[in-house]
Amino acid sequence: MKNNRFIIIILLLFIASKVSAQNIVKYELTVTDTIVNYSGKEKRAIAVNGQIPMPTLTFTEGDIAEIIVHNKLKESTSLHWHGLFLPNKEDGVPYLTQMPIEPNETFTYSFPIIQNGTHWYHSHSGLQEQIGMYGSLVLLKKKDDPTFRKGIDDLPAVPIILSEWTDIKPENVHRMLANANDWAGIKKGTTQSYSDAIKAGHFKTKLENEWKRMLAMDVSDVYYDKFLINGKNESQLSQFKAGDKVRLRVSNGGASSYFWLNYAGGKMTVVANDGNDVEPIEVDRLIIGVSETYDVVVTIPNEDIAYEFLATPEDRTGSASIYLGNGKIQLKSRMPKLNYFEGMKMMNDMMNMDGTMDDMGMDMSYQQMDMNTVMYPEISGNPKMKMDDEMDMDDKMDHSNHSMNANQDIVTLNYGMLKAPQPTTLQKDAPVRELRFELTGNMNRYVWSMDNKVLSEVDKILIKKGENVRITLYNNSMMRHPMHLHGHDFRVLNGQGEYAPMMNVIDIMPMETDTIEFEANMDGDWFFHCHILYHMMAGMNRVFSYENSKPNPYLPNKEWAYKKLQSESNKFHFMAENDFATNGNDGMVMLQNTRWSFGTEWRLGYHDEHGYETETHIGRYIGKNQWFIPFVGFDWRYREQNGEVEKNIFGQTNTKDQRAVLSLGAEYTLPMLVKLQGEIFTDGNVRFQLMREDIPISSRLRWAFMVNTDKEYMTGFKYIVTRHLGISSHYDSDMGIGFGATLNY
Amino acid sequence: MMALLVLSITACNAQLKNQNTETVKIYGNCGMCKSTIEKAGNIKKQSVVDWNKETKIATILYDSLKTSKDEILKRIALAGYDSDSFLAPDDTYSNLPNCCQYERAKEVSSTMVMSTNNHSQHSNEMTEMQDENPLSAVFDNYFALKNSLVKTDGTTASTSAKNLSTALNEVKMANLSNEVHMVWMKILDNLKTDTQKISDTKETSQQRQYFNSLSKKMYDVIKISKQETPTYYQFCPMANDGKGANWLSKEETIKNPYYGSKMLSCGKTVETINK
Repeated sequence: MKNNRFIIIILLLFIASKVSAQNIVKYELTVTDTIVNYSGKEKRAIAVNGQIPMPTLTFTEGDIAEIIVHNKLKESTSLHWHGLFLPNKEDGVPYLTQMPIEPNETFTYSFPIIQNGTHWYHSHSGLQEQIGMYGSLVLLKKKDDPTFRKGIDDLPAVPIILSEWTDIKPENVHRMLANANDWAGIKKGTTQSYSDAIKAGHFKTKLENEWKRMLAMDVSDVYYDKFLINGKNESQLSQFKAGDKVRLRVSNGGASSYFWLNYAGGKMTVVANDGNDVEPIEVDRLIIGVSETYDVVVTIPNEDIAYEFLATPEDRTGSASIYLGNGKIQLKSRMPKLNYFEGMKMMNDMMNMDGTMDDMGMDMSYQQMDMNTVMYPEISGNPKMKMDDEMDMDDKMDHSNHSMNANQDIVTLNYGMLKAPQPTTLQKDAPVRELRFELTGNMNRYVWSMDNKVLSEVDKILIKKGENVRITLYNNSMMRHPMHLHGHDFRVLNGQGEYAPMMNVIDIMPMETDTIEFEANMDGDWFFHCHILYHMMAGMNRVFSYENSKPNPYLPNKEWAYKKLQSESNKFHFMAENDFATNGNDGMVMLQNTRWSFGTEWRLGYHDEHGYETETHIGRYIGKNQWFIPFVGFDWRYREQNGEVEKNIFGQTNTKDQRAVLSLGAEYTLPMLVKLQGEIFTDGNVRFQLMREDIPISSRLRWAFMVNTDKEYMTGFKYIVTRHLGISSHYDSDMGIGFGATLNY
Repeated sequence: MMALLVLSITACNAQLKNQNTETVKIYGNCGMCKSTIEKAGNIKKQSVVDWNKETKIATILYDSLKTSKDEILKRIALAGYDSDSFLAPDDTYSNLPNCCQYERAKEVSSTMVMSTNNHSQHSNEMTEMQDENPLSAVFDNYFALKNSLVKTDGTTASTSAKNLSTALNEVKMANLSNEVHMVWMKILDNLKTDTQKISDTKETSQQRQYFNSLSKKMYDVIKISKQETPTYYQFCPMANDGKGANWLSKEETIKNPYYGSKMLSCGKTVETINK
């Protein structure tokens, strides 16, 4: 007996020494500016150790990671370890868990690896993730791990990181989104103009859409020039032979693109999601949300053929491929273009007049009912063809071919199909904290929020260590959102009972309600946000903060830092436009953030009879849809009128000779997106005005009109030539007809 | 006219900068393949593809700074045509018009089954759109013609062809669904010509030549049309001087219209077109 105990003690000592002799795995990462050429144009990007994507970091569960970051940029940076359980101060969110890594500074992240699976890492500073700062992070299981799965965990594995590239600076992308600039729509061919609508037989759909005050609908907002797998649009892994099974560790490092995954060599077997094993499931295709990871096993069926693994962004404007195997390349057919007007019609049906969504009692959740299917020609067939297509025989054949693709037998993965291999139930008898968030947004002004509040309008959400936190999320916006929680995995209550799958990102489609729960077992402040980079930067964030957390040595002044973090996602966007026309200059500058708007408009004639006029408004957007904006204003105008006096329709007189007045007013967006403005001036005059500036006639042609109670009116057309240039013609009651060029920023 | 065409092509070629010329094999069958292949391969100021349907060899001219041979062949493969570097996606291949379904190096039988399923869905959709198939008279007369050829009865075949001719002219195109209408417009002239030729003679050997092409066209339209009962698309590899020929039948049992009693059961069902 004594002997036995002795042996046990020896054994314990041995194990302890083994544990203490943990393997320290060290990586040195040097962050530098670089020039890349993905699209034929040379552009600035950020490379780490000279490469994009960042190098793949590999650890084994039980290792200690030590990652030394040298910042050689002219701006600050940070690295976030997406999906990892680690001490709060190593989480890599500037102003929340550490101070930014300043230029020429070196910072060391060090944490034990206490989990396994496919993860990734990226910059959490500004928009750096868009221009190269993403990389794979592979955490291997120990060989003696009881959950080691023969036939899966011992397969050859390839890290795959998906991303996109835009030639436009991401700061400008963000600014253009906030200004509802439709250049991305023009590039993508998704303007959904009235002429497109008429051609597609959907004039009424478009009309109803604008009546409900919606702009063109899309599944994503940014135009990308190239899509990349491991930094390349096309590449080949020729080491695989017939019969080989390969595990692809796929991370979506795209800033705002969901990707469809398809494989030319047959079905794919999904074996893990967000770094957590799931019961293997065979599918034809799956969509991977922004920042999600999936592990899929594919087979190389035949000798001397390389099979295409195809990643297609959700808007289907391009694709990226990697060929597995050696020899002739077996392609996968491209995903047919989306039927946007079908989607618009569906949106119309779901959208209430007050801008909220109505799921018509369908109780949607966990991606199980994908409303976007109405837009997928491969599932729902092609839209009805118009007779005018008949002239082109070849074209006709194409169409009939497409519709023959229609197939409802395609197995598409959804969250409901995912099941954990072991029970994932939380600690019993722990207090349950229930939280509910409504995901809200305003497409027209690109404001994204939770419960109609952006981060800068809310405090941290306090939680207690030891409680179970259950969160119900309802998406009441028109876009899907990949919601990510730092430092924790949560159970997704998808109907698998005890075997609910564990994730750290949950994609929520419009009108879905999803419930997640996690054990509050950490310390510190953890970010919870939409992982679409431009939504995050628009303020769709929250912070969960553990009560009585230890102080963070990397962040001495937490209160100040939180204010800084809040302001990061509520920045002012600048916009300017001027029409240099034959009859004068027409233009404006505007500075706006989530709620506030400062703007000045001007109309400057070339001589005194035409006059000079400026109006300045400072206003604040009210309400969830931001249709209402009260403002204070200042008007100044000068016009030589030789004593002539103008009367408005209320009989009030008005000399335009020289007028400088203050005003109080408000603007309201009416159905059809027409802006009604009412204003009362300090000289007692009142003015009402109706205006709309961006009626999409064709893909690039816009019609504008304005009419007001001062008996002034304007109508004009603008043809958009480039991102910054338009050709315009307009007729103005003060200045007559004019032609010109519009420059905008 | 031809000269003009040639001229315009050469003029076009002359415009390519950094021109590279290569010849590659692209698998395909017919004139329709030619136009699809070339349409997929050509890009203004980048590449010009000229495919020869006899030799299956394509001459590819391209601007080597803007594109590459692989890029062009990839586009052509995505349109359904295999080459020695790229294989077309299976679903794209099986959706090619029947006359274009060239013989592939690898087995494609599984995809044939798939495409059958697809057709059935189509016709389901159409059930709601039409009460009575406006083409049923056409199909009935076609099967009558086929049965006369099975019996090697040139006189009856000629009469059946005449009836078919009448039926063709009486189709109310307004009642056709969009999809069927499009295919119909495309093949109608050929159907009329073939039917005319068959009715003009009582010689079964001549009738059978035209019956082959008539059957292929009929297949294009029958596979997307509403049918009460399944139709079988059948094939005899020996007919048409060993090049093989197809026909449609309402019976699954092979009754070869190309040989009659000589080789009544030669052939196999290559596709079952459900209702």
